[in-house]
Formats: sequence, structure tokens, C-alpha cells
Amino acid sequence: MGRLIDLLPLSYTNAVVLVGAVVLGVTAGVLGAFAVLRERSLIGDALSHAALPGVAIAFLFTGAKDATSLGAGAAIACVAAAVLIVLIERTGRLRPDAAIGAVLAGFFSLGIVLLTYLANFNNANQAGLDQYLFGQAAGLLERDVNVMAALCAASLLAVAVAFRPLKTTLFDPQFAASAGLPVRTIELAMTAMLVVAVVVGIRTVGAILMVALLVVPTVTARQLADRLGVVLVLAGVVGAAVGGAGALVSQSAELPTGPVIVLCGFGVATAAVLLAPRRGVLWLARRRLADRRRRLVEGVLVDLETALHAGPPPTARELALAGGRPPRAVARALRHLDRAGMLTRDGDRVLLSETGAAAAHALLERRELWSLWLEHGWRLALPDAREPDPTDVRASLGDDVVERLRALAVAGGPEAGR
Amino acid sequence: MSDGGGRTPAGAGRAPALEVRRLTVSYGARPVLWDVDARFPVGALSAVVGPNGAGKSTLLRAALGLVAADAGQSLIEGRPARAALDRVAYVPQRDAVDWDFPISVREVVEMGRYRAAGWLRRVPRADREIVDASLERVGMAPFARRQIGALSGGQRQRVFIARALAQQAPVMLLDEPFAGVDARTEANLLELLRALCGEGHSIVVVHHDLATVRAAFDWALLLNVRAIACGPVAEALTTDTLRRAYGGVVGASDAPLEESLWAG
Repeated sequence: MGRLIDLLPLSYTNAVVLVGAVVLGVTAGVLGAFAVLRERSLIGDALSHAALPGVAIAFLFTGAKDATSLGAGAAIACVAAAVLIVLIERTGRLRPDAAIGAVLAGFFSLGIVLLTYLANFNNANQAGLDQYLFGQAAGLLERDVNVMAALCAASLLAVAVAFRPLKTTLFDPQFAASAGLPVRTIELAMTAMLVVAVVVGIRTVGAILMVALLVVPTVTARQLADRLGVVLVLAGVVGAAVGGAGALVSQSAELPTGPVIVLCGFGVATAAVLLAPRRGVLWLARRRLADRRRRLVEGVLVDLETALHAGPPPTARELALAGGRPPRAVARALRHLDRAGMLTRDGDRVLLSETGAAAAHALLERRELWSLWLEHGWRLALPDAREPDPTDVRASLGDDVVERLRALAVAGGPEAGR
Repeated sequence: MSDGGGRTPAGAGRAPALEVRRLTVSYGARPVLWDVDARFPVGALSAVVGPNGAGKSTLLRAALGLVAADAGQSLIEGRPARAALDRVAYVPQRDAVDWDFPISVREVVEMGRYRAAGWLRRVPRADREIVDASLERVGMAPFARRQIGALSGGQRQRVFIARALAQQAPVMLLDEPFAGVDARTEANLLELLRALCGEGHSIVVVHHDLATVRAAFDWALLLNVRAIACGPVAEALTTDTLRRAYGGVVGASDAPLEESLWAG
């Protein structure tokens, strides 16, 4: 690590902080995925809070603010909390969320009481222990960063080696067990990885907000990727970026590190949740609106075609009446059709232009095909598991399937004519 | 218990594909399976039927050792189940997994090869070809690169069955594969399962539709916590055994059940 720290174009202190924050971002990002994807994010929160009394007790015993021994204390407390949660879930009648909440609150309160006790009765040596609450990147030592990096490397290596068992257990634990995997052990290992992430991150990010660094990278990565391998890599990258940026900002602005890192992460995750292609909230909303408008416009187009068949060109009002649609919606649809060059107007009466008539016929054919599929589709033996798109059977199933469908309809089936 | 005997399609005389002896399983204080004896012959398409809460899914899971049994044993091809897991492919209920999980169709099917190829190794070319063939067999080859969430219910079921095929195990246990699947897919999948039986697979399906069982299955276990009957379909599913399994429902009115029974 030393050489990397020297290479950075930063002051020594800032370089140490940056490397430390990046290491913890990668660790929390990748390992946190194994909680988030199992829908166990709250466990991460409980373990982060539970680390606090571990830190205080370790200090009580050693009397020194050595990051390694305090980290060991945190790890032991995390494991104790995890075991307690599992025990309460298994033996009691509490639901998991209640068990997690109870253990989180209990451990965290104990931690606060111990820290206050230390502040009141101990020597000045304890000053700074409260940074485990909100996190403090400043004062990170190269020695600590080395330990963090070693833990990070070991856990990433473990994930890479055991990637397939982990993936199988995450996705389908029942299948994993039926294929001979020790599912219980693997799930324990996933919780242990969470403990590692908490221990690596708690001093810098703080017990209260550590969960954000476990959750945010995976949430962001999942918005952008739909393969587990890619999600893990992206989560590591996002965690590193968020951790590094937050630590540097907090260092120079003299703000508590945890909140700053988490604000960065919150910004990134919000952007991903809103904007991600295909999964983003805005993207989905736009598609829903477009779908709704398409259905309206197509409906009015068919109404118009039908009305023209039946009699003189209708007015917009008559069209609304015939289709049972609100007049304003019909007016909107007509404007849309007009812009597409599908209408000609005769006073306040509307007619279809040539393009409009062609579009109406194509639409009617597509609708007829969907009806044919519903009626006769079950008799087609499709060569694969393709399923028709109701709006466009021909495009989704291909021309030859459509021909066979038409042939079936013409020939009629055993039930035809009844 | 009427054990039918004799009329097994291919494997008469051999150890049954799956056999449970005196199996008792409890969740808490309540037994969900009570002293169940059942066997499923080699090469047959067998059904496990019974009312809701009869323990059908638990039977499969206990047979594989996924749920601890209070008593009894489970044999796959005559060997204790825990030692014969490589001979059996298990298809869990579809809603047991998160379909928004970041994984592709192909990756799911590849899971069927992990055990044989070695969990920690890259999947070798020969195994990847088995994956391709399995996808092809269930008609999902055009969807191999899709994320699984983009699939319909029927297509999801096909993916699960492809994964079981990829395991190349002679015994297949399927938990409610036809729940929430459209009629066309159900017919397709039944045809596929029949074909697999013809190739020597032994298949046990948890199913709730008596009409299809009647029409398409060789063998049935009628279950309601206890094993009511186990044997060839015609012997296992009689008016009498069905009344004993479904109790008051059938007692109140025989007609609907009779109808569904003979509809196939």
C-alpha cells in the first residue's frame, strides 16, 4: 500500500485517507451485495450498530485506541449479534424484522452507554472513540489501511473462487441444497462477509450510517446491470467512487466522514433509481404514458374506420359518443392522428387520409391476428417457447406461423362451426 | 394401501426410482406428513396429488433431505437419498425464487452442470453443450441471453425444467410445475415429460389437477398427511380413495369431483 500512497498526487495524509476509503468502498460494495440480493439489508444495519459495544469493550480491556484490537472487538460483537438474531428467529415467535430491530437497538444502546461511561470516568485517552458513531476518515493510519486492504483482498478472492456456489445459493437455495451444496454454511459465510465489511468500514463511516455503504452500491449496480458478475464489479466500483469522493470532501471541509460519504452514495443511487435505462422510474413512467397514448390513438383510429364504414364521416363529438370515450381524449387522439398525416377534415367532420386508411387496415389486421391466436393458437405446435406480442403477432412469431394460423382458421377445427 | 404392483411401465423388478418408508415430518408440533409409505417406479410419470396442506411439497423436500424428517427414510434407486443426490434433479416451485435476480436464462440452466463440472471450476465445453441442448429441448434457446425477469410464467417453468435436464439425472422431482402456467405450455411440458419417461427418466410431479393426472400420468400417490393410496392411476384414484383424501368436500357433493376425474 505504501508505494500506492506515495504515487498519489496528494499530501501523505490525504493519500492514506483516499486509499483507505476506496478500499472500504470496494469491500462494502461487493460484500454488501450478498445481503441486499438476499433481501437481508437490515441485517447489515443491525451488524453495523452492534459493532459499537464491541469497540467500547475492546477499549475497556486494552485501554488503547489501536484500530486492529478495536476492529477485533467490533467483529466479535457483530458475530454475537448475528447469532442472537438467528436464535431469536428460530426459537421465538418473532418475525425476522422484529428480531433484527430488537438486537440492533439493544446492542446500540449498550454501545452508547459504554461510550458515555468511558467518557465520564476514564482518562482523556478515550477521546475520539465517538468517531465510531459518525465516522472519521482523518487520522487513518497507513498500518490500518494495510489491514483493511488485506481483509478486502481476502474476501474478494473468496468471492471470486466461490462465485458459482454463492450465485446458486443466492438465487435458489432449495435447488442449491438439492444439488449437494452446504447451503447453511454458505449463508453463514455470507453473513461473515458482512461482518468483514462492517469491521473494515465502521471507523471511517460510523456505526449509524454504515448500512448505506453496504446497500447503495448494489442498488445502483442493479439498476445498470442484470448479471450477478457485472453487478458485483459495478458495486465495487460505485463503492470505491463514493467512499473516495466522500472521504476527500469530508477531510477538506472538516465534516464527519460518514454523512458525507452517505450523501454522495444517496445522490448516486437516486440518480440510478430515477434515470437507469429500462429500470429507472422515469424511464418506466415514460413507457407507461406512451403505451397508454398508443392504446387511445389506436382505439380512436379503429372507431373512425368503423364509423366511416357505417355511414357519413363523423364529427369528433359523434366519434367520442360511438367509442364511449371522453371527448377530450378523442380530441387529443385526433390531434395526434392529424400530425401523423392520417386525417383529412371536412368542416368539423373527420375522414381518414390515404396513410390513415392504410394504418387503420394494418391495425385491424394485427388485431384480427391476435383474435385468431386466441381462438386457434393452441392448435399450433410452435417449435420453441416464443409467445406472441398481443400488439404484433406477426413480428413476434414470424410470417410462416401467421400463415399456418390463417390456414387453421379457414379450415376450421373439430370444434369449428359450433 | 393399495400398492398396485406389477404394472410399472419399464422398471418392474428394479428398485423404485424413489421410495419413502414410514416418513414423518413435523413443522413445530403439527405433523405435515404422517407415517407415509410410497414408491414411484422407474420410467414412470408419477403424480403426487392431494388437497391443500396435504404435505405434497414437503414430501419431495423431505425425500431429498432438504427438510429434516422426524422418522423414516428416503431411498433413491435403492440408495439413501443423501448419498444419491447426483441421481436426482429437483425443480422447486417457481415462486420460491426472486425472478428479478440479476441472472440470465443460460446461467440458470448452467447451474445444472455446476455439480458435475465441479463447483469451483469454469464450466467445460462439453458441459456447455449439454446446457445448449437442454435449452433447445424446452424451446428456450432463443431466450438464452435474456434476464429471467423478462420471461412469462410458462417460459420460467421451461427454464427450471431445462436446468433439471442439464443435470442429466435419471430421477426428476418437480414441485407444482403447472401452477400458474397457461394451458398450451402445460400441454407442451406434459408432452416433454412423457417423452423423457420414454427415454428412461423417472419423473415425480406434485400436481393438483386430477383431470390431467387421470389423462397423462402412469402412477399416483394420493396424499393427505397420510398416504391414502399409491399405485397405478386407475387404482390409486377411485371415488373411495378420493373421498378419503378430500374428506367433507367430496362427501358433500360427489359430482364436481367425479366430473373433473373423468373429464380427461
